[in-house]
Amino acid sequence: MIRRIALGAVLCGLVACAGILGLTRSGPRAFPHRAHVIAGVSCTRCHAGVDDGSPALHLPDDARCTTCHTKPHDTRSCLGCHVAPTAIAELAEARDHLIFDHRRHLAGANGNCMRCHTGVADGDDHMRPAMATCFRCHDHDASRDARKCDACHRDLADQATLPATHLAHDGDWMREHGTRAASSADLCESCHKQSFCAGCHGRTVPALPAARRFADPFAASVHRAGFAARHSLEARSEPGVCTTCHAPERCVSCHTARGINDDRHGSPHPLGWVGLTAADNLHGREARRDPAACASCHGGAGEALCVQCHAVGGVGGNPHPPGWSSRQALSAMPCRMCHPIGSTPSGASRSR
Amino acid sequence: MKLAPATPTVLVVLGLLGLLGRAAGADPLRLRADALATTASPAGLLVLDGSAAAEPGLSAEAVVWVAGNAALDGGSRGDVLVIALDAHSRDGTRAARLGRFVAVMGALRPVHVDGGSLRLRLPQRFDVELAAGVPVLPGLATSRSWDWLVGGRVARRFGDWGSAGIAYQQRRDDGQLATEELGVDAGAALGRRDDIGARLAYDLVNPGIAEIGLTASHRGKTWRTEVYARHLAASHLLPATSLFSVLGDVPAQRAGAVVTWTAAPRLDLTADAGARRVDTDIDVELALRARLKLDARGAGALSAELRRSGSGMDAWTGARCAGRLALPHALAVSTELELVRPDEARGRGTLWPWALAAINWDRGDWQSAVAVEASASPEYRSRVDALFQLSRRWGMP
Repeated sequence: MIRRIALGAVLCGLVACAGILGLTRSGPRAFPHRAHVIAGVSCTRCHAGVDDGSPALHLPDDARCTTCHTKPHDTRSCLGCHVAPTAIAELAEARDHLIFDHRRHLAGANGNCMRCHTGVADGDDHMRPAMATCFRCHDHDASRDARKCDACHRDLADQATLPATHLAHDGDWMREHGTRAASSADLCESCHKQSFCAGCHGRTVPALPAARRFADPFAASVHRAGFAARHSLEARSEPGVCTTCHAPERCVSCHTARGINDDRHGSPHPLGWVGLTAADNLHGREARRDPAACASCHGGAGEALCVQCHAVGGVGGNPHPPGWSSRQALSAMPCRMCHPIGSTPSGASRSR
Repeated sequence: MKLAPATPTVLVVLGLLGLLGRAAGADPLRLRADALATTASPAGLLVLDGSAAAEPGLSAEAVVWVAGNAALDGGSRGDVLVIALDAHSRDGTRAARLGRFVAVMGALRPVHVDGGSLRLRLPQRFDVELAAGVPVLPGLATSRSWDWLVGGRVARRFGDWGSAGIAYQQRRDDGQLATEELGVDAGAALGRRDDIGARLAYDLVNPGIAEIGLTASHRGKTWRTEVYARHLAASHLLPATSLFSVLGDVPAQRAGAVVTWTAAPRLDLTADAGARRVDTDIDVELALRARLKLDARGAGALSAELRRSGSGMDAWTGARCAGRLALPHALAVSTELELVRPDEARGRGTLWPWALAAINWDRGDWQSAVAVEASASPEYRSRVDALFQLSRRWGMP
């Protein structure tokens, strides 16, 4: 008896899980277009007025359904159950954002709607044809080359629909977009305005509310969840990545404002950061690992601190790594901090 | 209240946007205002975003913000993020932009400039892009007459499936050479299922590779796989006039793969595994995610994530779960919880929890959200903050 109850409970659980996962359909189903086509019902018999050019969605009402289905099994609206959950919303979206006239296409298709609406044959939930279907007849190579989408698309940026087949924004797009955009920046601009790029890459960017989207936990974001707590760990793990968007001075301005430093030593650096022996000199290794982090505090005039020790003949020795070369003139900064104008590098080192 | 000197310019541009909107035949003038208030600093932020298009081929956009932060300086400040006037020919072969914008030149890092850009489509599928201007600095900046930037990119398109380009950029601060880089980029869609992309930036001032990015992905019916690699030399991100650029850093490299599986119509599983090397340290980066949509459109969803990151003293393990539930009357509630455990506490606490609960109201042109955020971090033993956001959009014919 107990085994039967357990077995029943497991089966009920599996059925419930299948429903939650979308494996079974307990709610509205896609309209059985295929069955109607096979039964010889013409498309315009239900979608009457599709060729009148009006902005209506031309969906059949209950009265039209009951002309054939004379004994409806339910008193509720037919489209309340016999339509895919997202189909009507997709139709409305297409009407608002696509420039399309069924009248001009019906004649060319000889009344065969399935030439474009190929999903009918497959029982597909999504009746809107893919863009590739349009290109079977329409040659838009020139428009695509010129990134002119407005011949068919209206308000692409406002529509906020991600491309499904070309430059699809799937996967970890936040990481990937830089590499993809490198060769397709003009394509990106066909949907994204300047404010979208500048929201991260601008130098005068505040925390734009539209970008923050704290009420949407699934929105793509560079700084997820409790980033403030772990940002120092993440910055150390991939040196230089912070300066992709932030000016190096950003770190010190925030830390100074919040009074974040090590009160025990009067310095944000740990013990052994600067010393006379290699064991007491943590700063050298850290500086080579992430010079951008050092520059966030010691940039500009603060760099003079470094050359007090780091000059040839000085305590810190030659700051250049093996094989160092630069096209900077000796008279330019920062070379002239160690190499006075007119002196050779070796002479300059002695003069320090 | 200290406002950036560009504020009068903003008013002029907003007026221009109005005129463009009045002249617009198809596209209306669009305005958006966002207000964000948070008790964290405490701070308040107001952002005004406007755009308009006058046909044919002339449009403008501007984003300006004003912020008040009692903790930082006790005052208010504002600045301009974007003021750009765009024009392009009817056939799309010539395009120009003037104002403050982000200039993107192939594999080189995007730069925020006050200046202009030009794009020409030449015969034989060649493209030429040019940009020049003064690099933008936050707030008031004077005596920058010798700070400038110039760059360009030449690219060749291959049908509608790919392109390759080479870019060059030079930046001078106070007349001195600060940055000079050469970039190479390539991207291709190999059929409907495969994409590849690559970029490389080479520093010409302190010769060396500044950045490399590689990505390749394959998309199946329920599977998507991606492999990626990245090389980043931090010192090359600094201007050559910085002493830190002569130190010669050790670059960081990262490589890995991401696999996404749509295990059920509403369930996506993702595994992201990679390795990262900085100096002699090699660490493993691992993330496992699951996301379950609660309805066909994904208005409601649940997600869970496990993550392992960092190396040595900086290694940490984290878990995160989030949920969103759509309610009647355009309301939605969402919540997030994250727990991070550093391998070595070093007096920073053994567990850093973070949680947020929010309620969102989205009714077309109006949008509002309120949230409460609670956390403990190396900085705070415990902290509770409130956030409020209100947005309004207008479209004026």
